[in-house]
Amino acid sequence: MAGVAGLVILAVASAVVAATLPDAPDGPRYMGAGNETPQRGGTLVVWHETGLRGTDPHTRFDALSNQAIKLLFEGLLDYERDTLELVPRLAESLPDVSEDGRTFRFRLRRGLRFADSVVFEGGRGREIVADDIRWSLEHMLDPATGSPGVTFYELIDGYEEFRAGDASHVRGIRVVDRYTVDITLSRPDQTFLFAMAMPFAYPVPREAYAHYGADVNRNPVGTGAYVLERWEPGIGLTFTRNPNYFLADEGQPYPERVVFELNLDRGTATMRFRNGEVDHLHRMPLADYLELRSQPAWEPYSVQAVDTIIRGVGMNVELPPFDDVHVRRAVAYCINRPRWLRSRAGRMALTGQPIPSTLPGYDPDLPGAHVYDLDRAREEMRLAGHPDGLDEPVTFWTGEGDTGRFYGELVQSDLAAIGIEVEIRQVAFPMFLQQTGTRGTVQSWFAGWSMDYPDASNFLDILFHSRSRRPTDSMNKSFYASPEVDRLLDEARVERDRERRLALYHQASEQIVADAPWAFIFSDVAYELWQPYVRNYRPHPVWSNFYRDVWLDLPRERVARGPFAIDALPAFARPFAPRLGRGRR
Amino acid sequence: MKGLLPPGLAQLLVRRTLAGLVIVFAVTSAVFFLAIGIGDPATATLGANASPEAREAFRHEHGLDRPKLDQYGSYLLGVAQGDLGRSYRDDQPVTQVILWRLPRTVLLTGLAMLLQLLFGLTLGTLAALRRNTWFDTGFMGLAFLGISVPVYVSGHVFVMVFAFRLGWFPIGGYGVSALDHVYHALLPALTMAIAGASTIARIMRSEMIDTLGNDYVRTARAKGLSASRVVLHHAARNAMLPIVTLIGLRIPFLVAGAIITETIFNWPGMGRLVIEAIRNLDVPVIMGVVVITAVSVQVGNIAADIGVAMLDPRVRLRGS
Repeated sequence: MAGVAGLVILAVASAVVAATLPDAPDGPRYMGAGNETPQRGGTLVVWHETGLRGTDPHTRFDALSNQAIKLLFEGLLDYERDTLELVPRLAESLPDVSEDGRTFRFRLRRGLRFADSVVFEGGRGREIVADDIRWSLEHMLDPATGSPGVTFYELIDGYEEFRAGDASHVRGIRVVDRYTVDITLSRPDQTFLFAMAMPFAYPVPREAYAHYGADVNRNPVGTGAYVLERWEPGIGLTFTRNPNYFLADEGQPYPERVVFELNLDRGTATMRFRNGEVDHLHRMPLADYLELRSQPAWEPYSVQAVDTIIRGVGMNVELPPFDDVHVRRAVAYCINRPRWLRSRAGRMALTGQPIPSTLPGYDPDLPGAHVYDLDRAREEMRLAGHPDGLDEPVTFWTGEGDTGRFYGELVQSDLAAIGIEVEIRQVAFPMFLQQTGTRGTVQSWFAGWSMDYPDASNFLDILFHSRSRRPTDSMNKSFYASPEVDRLLDEARVERDRERRLALYHQASEQIVADAPWAFIFSDVAYELWQPYVRNYRPHPVWSNFYRDVWLDLPRERVARGPFAIDALPAFARPFAPRLGRGRR
Repeated sequence: MKGLLPPGLAQLLVRRTLAGLVIVFAVTSAVFFLAIGIGDPATATLGANASPEAREAFRHEHGLDRPKLDQYGSYLLGVAQGDLGRSYRDDQPVTQVILWRLPRTVLLTGLAMLLQLLFGLTLGTLAALRRNTWFDTGFMGLAFLGISVPVYVSGHVFVMVFAFRLGWFPIGGYGVSALDHVYHALLPALTMAIAGASTIARIMRSEMIDTLGNDYVRTARAKGLSASRVVLHHAARNAMLPIVTLIGLRIPFLVAGAIITETIFNWPGMGRLVIEAIRNLDVPVIMGVVVITAVSVQVGNIAADIGVAMLDPRVRLRGS
């Protein structure tokens, strides 16, 4: 009897506690102080799902490394956030281009300095001069550096000889005077300036490489808004303001510190964001997405934008049944795109062509762009000689996780409508990438590509030019080859007239959708939120989460909560909580 | 040494160490070949946009283009010299990466161990003293619940209630100062401690009930000792013997026992390290954690055997 009474008392107590719990917040927990002009100070706390591999702009090339590198370094050029036009940063202006379109003259701003570091005499960062641009490019191109970015610069005159070790300098990189450098290409190339805005081309001090050797990857000495204060691998990084930054006189950057918390999973990060523990949310589980989207209080502090990424069903044109263009077209037209959109709660932008809608070269009226048209798909199957479908199932590869399986199942049910049975093969993502890049291995897969730089060539050349085919590690995973497409892409690469160039990409896109090496389906739609006290944040189309220009509207004000919440308790009852409320900021 | 160690202990040590080495070798070999078969670390590390040249350079740099047996030989040679390799992702020596994480896990599991002893011993003793009252039945019922609810359920419930809704604790993370670390560790440690405390409380209760019925306890009471002295100095000491053994066997758990809890609470310890390493195909780190864990399990087992043998002369050593 006593035991039953004990259990009943406990159950009742639990129910009372549960009933008096404060609700989950239906809006931000903190508001800003109400300043309208940029304020200096505070710590911006952001998070990432992975660990950081390093900060050497010449050898690191992944999304997170780039975000750190963008805080620590600057380049001669950058992409303007809203227009994607190139703008000067360390360069005084955009480069002058010679008559023949092969030589670019860059002029550096005067008085630029590297960040202070022990690698310099006296610890004071020295001036950045034209020879640093030359040294940095040659260092990046040196085979010993092992930079993954060298192919972006292969058109610089003298590249081959330098890479082969037949020349000690790159002929096409010439220092004109203390602040001027000329770069000459072996032939005109309209994508070259994009390459000059990539981190591979950022100037770095030779002293740092001499001092640190391979460890330079963890000891950045840069030109950016911040310097690295602390790095706990896999756990977090703290960046602090660089007093030598070229905009320091204008008060930039604004926050005193930026903290990256690493290896957080989306679910936890979402809760921490809603609790005011992190300041920006760029990935979240679907359920949280739906909930946050439905809360009007978050609307002023969120943005929904189409990513420059393309996704679809990739088909290997060398393997049956996809060696038949009619089967490929049938797949392209049987994908029920409106259903895909509904099933992802609108988190995608439908498309039917290889160039994302965010880039010049995209044509909303492209003839033959893939759409959902089941009759046409069935007609293509009839033309392929399979009016009743295929006898053999086809294998469709996706990466691990719920999302991969989800898309696999959508493809499975769509292709069933034209009599193609699909077997889903779900594997770990690294294996997925490896196998899909190996010739003669994968019939079809969940294909995707995001940009390195904002130009159509970065999609069409890499994914569909015959030059991109390789026996292993192939970037052209369809192993698609069309002399006509190759010709159009090669012409576009050197064409200086913008309209003519875009027209060439239109023609190439038209041919590619007709040949259907992929069934083009959608671009991702990113949904991002930030705390009300985080100002001037907008995602950057190239750099994604881009924190350089943010300022914090402090002190932040906590929005009250329920009776037992920490902020409702008297002060003596909350001795801890150093990170809640006022402590961190 | 003779006279200090029980007879046969030296042989036992040698035998157990050799067996431990064989087990560590077997585990290491199995995991090595499994890990390098999962996929291509170059692709996992460099990402989808990496050029073929970059991937080849990566494979060459890390010796992944060599035959697998050759790679394994080099790895073993390195381990024998105390070199666990270099992390692909963090680009740091694996020993360094593990040294960053190990103290964090030890803080968490150590705190969890303390909490479970504190709650388990106290509640077990009180339940034994108040046998068959509402307190006893109620708390032993709760102990059943504690043993039955898995950490991945209780952890999420705790985060939701105490951190997200009430705001008493931070939602995961590690904190920035010593006090802050402990504050961040409290909720995950409590989550881990519940199942352990429940087990300890149940064992303590039954041992205490047995012990309290012994003649020497009755004698102590008859001599007029206070109730608390009888319980704490006479009964509890004997009742705790099986719990000491239990704790001894859980020492390896201090090193790598918190994979689920660390994942739920984003605690940057060894458990999460191994999950991150598997996700990134960071084979040297996976191997490093496996080697360290396998060795600590062996060391823990040998230590427990020796400890029991030395403490209790009734335990005969098979080596003698």
